[in-house]
Amino acid sequence: MPHKILVVDDDPDILEAISMILESQGYKVATARDGVEGLANLKAEKPDLLVLDLMMPKMDGFAVCKELQDPRWAKYKDMPILILTSVREEASRRRYELETGLELDVDDYVEKPVSPDTLLERVGRLIKRKGSG
Amino acid sequence: MKTSGKGKAFLAEEGEMEHNPEKAAFRMWLRVFVTIRWITILGILAATLVASRLFHIGFPTTAAYAVCVFVTLCNLALLYQARRLRKMPTSQAIHQARVWGTVHLLLDLLAFIVLLHFTGGIENPFVFYFVLHIIGASVILHYRVVYMLATAKIVAVMLLVGLEYAWGKYGWGIPHINLVGFASPTLYQQESYILVVLIVLGSALFAATYMATSVAGELRKSQRAVVSLSQRLLKKRTGELEQASVEIAKLEEEKNRFLRFLGIAAHDLKAPLTAIQGFLWIMLGGYSGDITDKQRNMLERSTFRIKELMNLISDLLDIPRIETGQIVEEMKQVSLGQVIRASIGDLRETAKQKKLKLELELPPALPKIYGSAPRLQQVITNLVSNAINYTPEGSITIRVKAGDDEIQVEVVDTGIGVPAEDLPRLFEDFFRAGNVETKGTGLGLSISRRIVEAHGGRIWVESPCPETGKGSRFAFTLPRKIENKRR
Repeated sequence: MPHKILVVDDDPDILEAISMILESQGYKVATARDGVEGLANLKAEKPDLLVLDLMMPKMDGFAVCKELQDPRWAKYKDMPILILTSVREEASRRRYELETGLELDVDDYVEKPVSPDTLLERVGRLIKRKGSG
Repeated sequence: MKTSGKGKAFLAEEGEMEHNPEKAAFRMWLRVFVTIRWITILGILAATLVASRLFHIGFPTTAAYAVCVFVTLCNLALLYQARRLRKMPTSQAIHQARVWGTVHLLLDLLAFIVLLHFTGGIENPFVFYFVLHIIGASVILHYRVVYMLATAKIVAVMLLVGLEYAWGKYGWGIPHINLVGFASPTLYQQESYILVVLIVLGSALFAATYMATSVAGELRKSQRAVVSLSQRLLKKRTGELEQASVEIAKLEEEKNRFLRFLGIAAHDLKAPLTAIQGFLWIMLGGYSGDITDKQRNMLERSTFRIKELMNLISDLLDIPRIETGQIVEEMKQVSLGQVIRASIGDLRETAKQKKLKLELELPPALPKIYGSAPRLQQVITNLVSNAINYTPEGSITIRVKAGDDEIQVEVVDTGIGVPAEDLPRLFEDFFRAGNVETKGTGLGLSISRRIVEAHGGRIWVESPCPETGKGSRFAFTLPRKIENKRR
């Protein structure tokens, strides 16, 4: 059964580009345009991996990460999150750690623009980690 | 004697109110006044004792003692009043000191005349001591008041002497008391003697008044000039400072607004480029079907140009981040050795391709420093990749020297160097040296300078490198201890 990935980004072109890359490797892709829609689709689609932008309208990526720590979302505790953003890593790492109290793993962070090879490599690594863990 | 103790107390408390030389002079004068009075009282007591016991001069000593008691009471009152002056504002204190001074000088006049009457009137040579009294008054009182006081004194003495004279001559007036055994009992009836004493006393009084008031007036004038000058200077200085701080605040706000603008603009430029880059990569990767070699070539060149633009934008984003002090928030204890190794990790391959030797000279024990690891890494990467770019053959050496107060990091190459005329401007924004093809954003070194300066260090370049005589040497320092500004 193919793995399902939910991509959340406010830029439709980015959504399309990422979907194309992931679908070419046989992943099933679902998309959302902001944090609120992302959480709704999470329940509906039950993906294996979440690709998340940080700067978004309505509900940003930081808020989504924080929300997922709530016990109501315990089902998704083991779902890996790949943060994909144009914010420089050292700038958002601090904020992420402050807001969620979690440490950001290197594997969990990719700065935009991301090449297809890097994206697929990271996604593959995270899904494998989930499968083994 | 309590006087000296009180005097010290006055001195110690002088700094409490605002300091004004005129007020200070008045208070000093009142202290001197009080002290002189104590001495005078002692003098009268001593003279009375000596005259009556030693020389057996006959006069009513009780009256003399009574005058001493009266003056003592006056002096205690003045002492109390002088203490209250301390808490008053300057102008009120000076006015009050003058009023009290006048009252006490008049009280003194009264006591003096009474004492003079009981100690022989015109026969008493101490009558000339009146002159000393007027000198004291001149210091504190307005000169007109002093002249009036002097007049009052000579008139009072004339009245006393006159009335005593009349009592002897015509049987009315004030009875004369003779200093028995000291002066002839008929001296007070001797017109020529009386006249000379009065003339001498009067002229001495007015001459003393004239001299003392002019000196005191000059003194007061210069005191006032000093005060007004210092106030004027202070006012001017305060005004200038206020204006300067307003200007600085305005500039600071202007700068922050511009930095915010730059940050937002750069970020918004990045978003569409990211999308373009994404699509270009998809096409290049063949995810959207096959492409011809010609198309591939153009797409590759497009991604290269986008990469250039991205670098420029991320450099532009860096400047406001560094200048608004975000770098300070990123600082912690970092290992410089690790930072350097991480910086050159990706560059080793580039150097190898150009057949350049990349050497690392680290001291065995490198202390930890307080700084931002990703930012320092940015500086070293920038310096080393510049060195690789501008060195056609030879080697690049990264050297660390640990001093007592600071650590120095050097990047030495054997490359083309920097033309002498470009050296001073090399760390400016958008400056590119004349001898290189424009490759970078022109911001790399200026950002490195900002990062090093945010760490409290310095960055500089020498070309040719003074030790090897070729290439260039870029060096920067980091202080071993950085003040934590947020503490």
